[in-house]
Amino acid sequence: MTEKITWDKSHLLGLKDLSREDIEIILNSARSFKEVSKRQIKKVPALRGKTVVNLFFESSTRTRTSFEIAAKRLSADLVNFSSNISSLNKGETFLDTLKNLEAYSVDMFIVRHAHSGAAKYLSENTSASVINAGDGQNEHPTQALLDMFTVQENLGQLSGLKVAIIGDIFHSRVARSNIWGFSKFNSDVWVCGPTTLIPKYFESLPVKITYDMKQALDGADVVIMLRIQNERQQSQFFPSLREYRQYFTLGEDKVKFLKNTALVLHPGPVNWDIDISSSLKSRMQPLILEQVTNGLAVRMAVIYILMEKRHYEFID
Amino acid sequence: MSLLIKNGTIVNKDKVFKADVLVNKDLIVEVSSDIKTEAKEIIDAGGKYIFPGFIDMHTHLRVPGREDKEDLFTGSKAAAKGGFTTIMCMPNTEPAIDDYETAKWIIDQAKDIKLVDIIPIGAITKARAGVCLSEFGRLKEAGCIALSDDGCSVKNGYILRKALEYAKLFNMLIISHCEDEDLAAKGVVRESNLSAEMGLPAWPSISESITAFRDIEIASYLDVPIHIAHVSSKRTLEIIKEAKARGVKVTAETCPHYFSLSIGDIKKNFNSLYKVNPPLGTEEDVQAVKQALRDGVLDCIATDHAPHTHLEKEVDFYQANFGMIGLEFAFSLTLNLVKDNITSLSDITAKLSANPAKILSLHNKGEVSQGFLADLVIADLDADWKVEALEIASKSKNTPFLGKTLTGKILYTLHKGKTVYKS
Repeated sequence: MTEKITWDKSHLLGLKDLSREDIEIILNSARSFKEVSKRQIKKVPALRGKTVVNLFFESSTRTRTSFEIAAKRLSADLVNFSSNISSLNKGETFLDTLKNLEAYSVDMFIVRHAHSGAAKYLSENTSASVINAGDGQNEHPTQALLDMFTVQENLGQLSGLKVAIIGDIFHSRVARSNIWGFSKFNSDVWVCGPTTLIPKYFESLPVKITYDMKQALDGADVVIMLRIQNERQQSQFFPSLREYRQYFTLGEDKVKFLKNTALVLHPGPVNWDIDISSSLKSRMQPLILEQVTNGLAVRMAVIYILMEKRHYEFID
Repeated sequence: MSLLIKNGTIVNKDKVFKADVLVNKDLIVEVSSDIKTEAKEIIDAGGKYIFPGFIDMHTHLRVPGREDKEDLFTGSKAAAKGGFTTIMCMPNTEPAIDDYETAKWIIDQAKDIKLVDIIPIGAITKARAGVCLSEFGRLKEAGCIALSDDGCSVKNGYILRKALEYAKLFNMLIISHCEDEDLAAKGVVRESNLSAEMGLPAWPSISESITAFRDIEIASYLDVPIHIAHVSSKRTLEIIKEAKARGVKVTAETCPHYFSLSIGDIKKNFNSLYKVNPPLGTEEDVQAVKQALRDGVLDCIATDHAPHTHLEKEVDFYQANFGMIGLEFAFSLTLNLVKDNITSLSDITAKLSANPAKILSLHNKGEVSQGFLADLVIADLDADWKVEALEIASKSKNTPFLGKTLTGKILYTLHKGKTVYKS
């Protein structure tokens, strides 16, 4: 079904650790899997008899659902394990939780955690494969991969682009993963947001920094609007949503700086009228929903590729 | 005479020389070459080095309250294994060591255990809440010689001023934990290009340096001593250096992890064993700490031995507790400074024993000389040993050096003339 795979990694923890070729393998594979979901029978038997656990230590419905549908369309058995309770309160570490589940001969863990490095830590302590479904402010690799997939489908390329990421850079794992991903294809990644929401030392990453939306949007091929959490106002990242809106919401006043062909992406859920004006909803929403569709294909690809790696190792 | 140590090399603060050491009961009675006096026990220290017992100004023994992490017995064993014969335990316990009874109880327990001297550090403020001063006089009567709210800064400058003034009445040393909690902003790694990359909440060095500056400024204004705990950043060292040059009575310690590890060690795998407060510095900070140890801007090396259960560490980096154990590794890590030509052998004695003794006015400790207490360490400087969980004497095993091979092994630790550890 897919072309020859030369994939050597047991886990997908972040785009920082992937090569350009690795990313291409995933995106090529996702293209094939996207077709599966358009069939009458939206299921392939590829991963029959494999067990996947959605191990979510932070609440998430969208990402969890996307992974769940992806695993099921590949015929894997998927179990959801969600826990927002600090494991310390239970007298059990989250490593203990992992080991308990592993005892059921689990093949893959899909891990979501509120803190950076959690997926990496678990991957070093399990024989199963680990997919990072978002760890703290570190990485959210499948989100960036679906962004890249969407860009490749719409613009036909990933290289030589100007990619502007706008909003809450400080707290965003999506921003970091996209920075690592796009920079590997020699695209210029710009970040833009209030000075308080771009961390000090961010210039040491492969990005250009601007605090001016006009400069960020000017000539951009791709704009990734990030979600602003309403509670950031309380922690003094900016004084009011009203003022934020004036400078950083993508509205009619700023959209005019964009070229016609520019893609506007959003990892969802959109905080309308803060991230993007609702007056632009009919124009922006179709592509944002297409991202969701693509996310499924990308996640099917990632699960499949990692399982295949595991399968061959098992035969060896 | 009870003990004769033959053929060793003595390492004092100002001199390294070959000599025999004669001990009677708890005292050193003679240090000279080729002692012929008969003794009940003889140790041949040929090719080995003899240091005065180490003094740790910064240990967490978790007693009372968290005996699941460490207790006075396991903490004493870890100290003896690491060559420490005097340890000062911090009062961030449950309840805090802020009254006569608690302090006295710890000292009495240590006397029963008979391994090392334990001197509790009293809390500056009741329950370490930063509001009301503890009874310094009563704490002194119990046996405390220093005070700290370690784990927290005394947030209110007025309270710190009153504490420094009142401590003068009892000749007690105020040890300052420098951290501006608001600026620290729940950060867990040093703010740097790597914190930006890892996306872990960042702890800026200004959190330490601003508080150090304030505390030193208050002490300077009052012309009283102050001791800065666990210095980890370049800017703080510059502030201390400048104050010392002006004649301010400021002394300072760092810990082995601040010259042995850096934030770069966390990047690889987010291992929570590297999580400590203040967080590990950047490479620039590490170099500054080494330089300050060489220049004498830093007076001592303390362990900040911070035991935590596996439950508190076997979690993701952010949720894990701050702190690592240190008593058993401090000597080997400090010896690395000598091997790297940063400090001299006598500097080990200065930083781990003589300077703490001087700062704390422990007049019969810190030197291998006639009349001093027979608190002695005999070490092989070239022996390698591997850090293994099962061999660790501390109740907790939370050290990033697990599995690593260290050089420099303690062979004997003697406390008041008695062997309390033998490898």
